[in-house]
Amino acid sequence: MKTTSQKILGVWNTKTVVAIAIGAALFGVLMNYGGIPVFTNTKLTTAMIIPVIVGAMFGALPAAVACAVGNLIADLIGGWGYWFDWSIGNGVLGFIVGLLPLYGANIDEGIFKPVHAIIYAVACVIGNALAFGVITPILTTLFYGGELEITFLQAMAAGLSNTLVLVIIGIPILILLARRNARGTDLKLEEKEVKEEQNI
Amino acid sequence: MKSPLLNLIPGDTYLHKLTGKTKVRAFVILLVYIIMSFDLRLILPLFIVGIIGLVSLRPEWKTLRYFFIVVAAVNLLNIVLFWLANPDIGAFWCGGSRTVLVSFTKRLFISLETLWYLSIRFLKMITSFLISMVFVLSITPSELAAGLYSIKVPYKICTIFSIAFRYIPDIGRDYENIKISMQARGVELDPKKVPLMDRIKQNVLILVPLIISSFERVGNISNAMDLRGYGRGKTRTYYCEHEEGKADKIFKAIYTGLLLFCAFWIVSRIIYPPPSKMWYPFS
Repeated sequence: MKTTSQKILGVWNTKTVVAIAIGAALFGVLMNYGGIPVFTNTKLTTAMIIPVIVGAMFGALPAAVACAVGNLIADLIGGWGYWFDWSIGNGVLGFIVGLLPLYGANIDEGIFKPVHAIIYAVACVIGNALAFGVITPILTTLFYGGELEITFLQAMAAGLSNTLVLVIIGIPILILLARRNARGTDLKLEEKEVKEEQNI
Repeated sequence: MKSPLLNLIPGDTYLHKLTGKTKVRAFVILLVYIIMSFDLRLILPLFIVGIIGLVSLRPEWKTLRYFFIVVAAVNLLNIVLFWLANPDIGAFWCGGSRTVLVSFTKRLFISLETLWYLSIRFLKMITSFLISMVFVLSITPSELAAGLYSIKVPYKICTIFSIAFRYIPDIGRDYENIKISMQARGVELDPKKVPLMDRIKQNVLILVPLIISSFERVGNISNAMDLRGYGRGKTRTYYCEHEEGKADKIFKAIYTGLLLFCAFWIVSRIIYPPPSKMWYPFS
C-alpha cells in the first residue's frame, strides 16, 4: 500500500518518469490540436484529462509536473509565446485534480465510486479557482506587470472551460478506466502461500 | 500529424553543431530577454537575429509556412480580442495619454497608444515564436535533456522532457491509426459534414483509445529503461554532449553578456521605474 506522502508526491521510479513524460506529450499535443478556442489563448481543451489520469495512477505531484511540462511543450510547438504563469497555474491545477488517490479513488484497482466523483468535481472547481483565480494573476503581475484585466478574463474563461471539460469528459473517462482496470482485480497475488513455500 | 519540427538526428549547420548546453542556456536567457520588456528597441534586433537564425538552419519552408500562417492568424485574433476586452489598454501602457484615431462607439475606439501597444505585442509574440522555432529546429531531444541538466534541473525531469518530445510523433501516428480504423467502422469524421457537438463527441471517442494505448506503453518503456540501469546513479552524463567548440565559446560570451544586461535592465527598472510602462516615441 502507498503511504499518504507517496499518494501526494508520487513514487519517482522509472515507471512514473515515463508516465509523466507520455502524459506531458499528450497534454502538449492535445492543447494544440484537441481544442476549440474560447477566448484569447484559451481553449476548451481535452488536454485537461491528462493530469486526471496521471494523478489517478501516480499521484498529485506527477500530475502537476505532467501538466506544467505539457504546457511548456504546448507553448514550444504552438508558438503563441511563453506564459510561464500559465504553466505554473496549470501545474497547480494538475496537483489539485491529481489528488484523486488521497480521497480513496484508485483507478489502478478499479475503485471509483459516485462519492469520489462528487469530491472530484468539487476539487476541480476549487482547483480552477485557486490556479487561475489566484496563482496565475499573481504570477502574471510579477512576471509581466499589469494586464490583470485580461488575465482575469482569460482566467475566467480558462477556469470555466477547464471545469466543464474536467467534469463532463473527466468523470466518464475515470469510470471507463476504472471499469477497465477492475477486470484484473479478481486476480490477487497470493502472498501468503508464497511466503509459506519459502518457509518450507 | 507528422511533426516536421522535431528532428531526432542532429543537423549540420552552424547552429545545429552547438552543444545542447549552449542551446538551452542561450534560449533561456533569450526568453528572459523577450519577456522582460515591451520595448521595440530591444525586440526588433532580436526579431532580425531570429530571422537570420532561422534562415541559417535551412529548414523546409513548405512545412514552416503553414505554422507561420497559423501563428500569425491566431495572434491577430488574440490581438483583436485583446482590443475588444479593453480598447483603452494603450493608455495604461504608454503613460496615460489617449489619441483617438477612429471611434466606433463610446467604448470601442482605436487610439494611437492602443495600436502601438498591440502591434508591439504582436511583434513580441512573433519574435518569441521565431526564437522558439530556431530552438526547436536546432535541438534534438537528447541535447535538450543534456542542456537542461547543465542548468541543474534534476535528471529525471530532463528525461521527462526528452521522452515527451520523442513521443510526440508516436502520438501523431497513433491518432492517424485510430482515426482510420474508426472511419473504417463507419464513423464520419470529416469536419465539413459533421456539426460541432458531434465533432466534440468524436474527438472524445478518439481520445479514449489514444490515452489508453499511450499509457499501456508506459510499462514497456519503463521496463526497457530499468533493464538498462536507468535511475541507479545520482548523476547522469549524456552521450550526445560533445566538447565545446569555438562557436560554443563565442555563444558563451554573448549569452553571458546578455544575461548581465537583462539583470541590469530588470534591476534598474525596479529601482527607477520609468514614467511610462513601455517605450513610446510619440508622447
